[in-house]
Amino acid sequence: MSDGPALRVSGACKTYERSDQAALLPTSFQVERGEFVSLVGPSGCGKSTLLGMIAGLIAPDSGSVEALGEPVTGPGAGRAMVFQDAALFPWLTVFHNVEYGLRAHRVPKAERRERVQDALRLVHLDDVASRHPHELSGGMRQRVSIARALVMRPGILLMDEPFSALDAQTRTILTDELQRIWLETRPAVVFVTHNLIEAAFLSDTVHLLSSGPGRIVKTYDVDLPRPRDEAHPALLELRHDMLDRLRAEVGGAIARRAQIAEVTAL
Amino acid sequence: MSAAGGGGTGSAGRLTRASHRARALALEVFRKGWFVTLVLLVWWLITAAGWVDPYKLPAPGDVLSTLGTLFTERALMSDLGATLLRLVEGWAIGVVAGVLLGLLTGGSRTLEDGIRPVIAGLQSVPTIAFLPLAILWFGFSGTAVLAVTAFGTFKPMALATYGAMHQVSPTLLMAGRALGARGLFMQRTLMFPAIVPSLVTGLKMGWSFAWRALMAAEIIVTGAAGLGGVLELGREIGAIDVVMAVILVILVVGIVTEQLFFTRLERWVNRRWGLVGAR
Repeated sequence: MSDGPALRVSGACKTYERSDQAALLPTSFQVERGEFVSLVGPSGCGKSTLLGMIAGLIAPDSGSVEALGEPVTGPGAGRAMVFQDAALFPWLTVFHNVEYGLRAHRVPKAERRERVQDALRLVHLDDVASRHPHELSGGMRQRVSIARALVMRPGILLMDEPFSALDAQTRTILTDELQRIWLETRPAVVFVTHNLIEAAFLSDTVHLLSSGPGRIVKTYDVDLPRPRDEAHPALLELRHDMLDRLRAEVGGAIARRAQIAEVTAL
Repeated sequence: MSAAGGGGTGSAGRLTRASHRARALALEVFRKGWFVTLVLLVWWLITAAGWVDPYKLPAPGDVLSTLGTLFTERALMSDLGATLLRLVEGWAIGVVAGVLLGLLTGGSRTLEDGIRPVIAGLQSVPTIAFLPLAILWFGFSGTAVLAVTAFGTFKPMALATYGAMHQVSPTLLMAGRALGARGLFMQRTLMFPAIVPSLVTGLKMGWSFAWRALMAAEIIVTGAAGLGGVLELGREIGAIDVVMAVILVILVVGIVTEQLFFTRLERWVNRRWGLVGAR
């Protein structure tokens, strides 16, 4: 692995068929190794498109994405993904779900076993290894999904609104958990969310995106020591700034939508 | 029952529960059995009154005693066994071939676009129309019957596999791809298990297609042991009680496999795949 940033997005853009407006204008940013970066914005701002490009699941119309020193042409072992609805395989046990990526990469059985157990211990789920996903709560399922990604020892962890389908308490607990897990494992993270406070709490850098067409409108650095507390005044202030900026940038309607989304999510 | 109605002691409670269960069972039997009973009664009345020639419609009791005779004296059991064996073999071959073809070609747009319409076209031809071809290829034998049965299962299974593959959640496929699954590994470990619940429905359909093809073929290709041959024999000698007795056996086989095998299989798959009891 070469030095340099974990991720370099250079002028990547996308317009979908049957749409006259760009889903994402040419966008560039960089993620350092071990850095936690959030992409925040209302629906339709292109944040999921951007994440799909980084994951290698969506091809940019032009521009390029470079991950861990290699150009992205498809999914790669160095990048692991956590989806909004966990996307666990319902016919496999928790253990075998976490093991799946290792099997796909032909990791020997003994090593698979050890790594799966480590990953499950990391998310505090080693006691439910033999259960099936439908026997777990939504929060547990999402933790399995995080373990399934981390077991690949990714240089870059991609998270697509991982907590947005969870209830408020579970969400708060899992956000704390994610902070702890990230501090223990330190991959670079690209975290997509519509929740401003969640983004501010977790991130080193927050990119604020706007819709119509999708683009980055402002970047915030969050320079606070960890572990952090969600009620830290600096975080609340930052959230306020971001909301103001959103209002100014895309008009009242969309900012209200983001605020409503955030209020219902909290 | 009102004396035990208090249910204070254990035995009284058990008794009440048992009587509840008995009443529920009786109600169930009545709900599902009244029409059949009525039909049997009318049938019996018609024959007992002598309104219809017994050569056209034998009495229910006669059909039943013929059924007994067929089993004890005419070795109907070995015919039933031969038919069931052929059914299971033909069905299994058709299922494996259909699902394999579906999985192998359904993973590629080009292959599926080319092959699917051909199978859909063949599906619109009743399977029994292929029997003369099968006889020319495999001879006037049980093998020709087996081939037709397998083919009758193969077509709906391949189509069911295509259909099921298009219904797999795109997020699940994306999760698999992001974890590095590709090609045959993807088909084997993700696509196949993901379509199993829909395939169970296909299995049931394949079974009924196999059953139909098999009966039609057995009636034509007589000589080998089998229920269809007995049916045809009954027609030749004008023994309508034999014909009706065999139809009764065919009916019972259909109901028993449906209830014993497919319903259980469906329940098991739904539980294992989390389709019931899921949050």
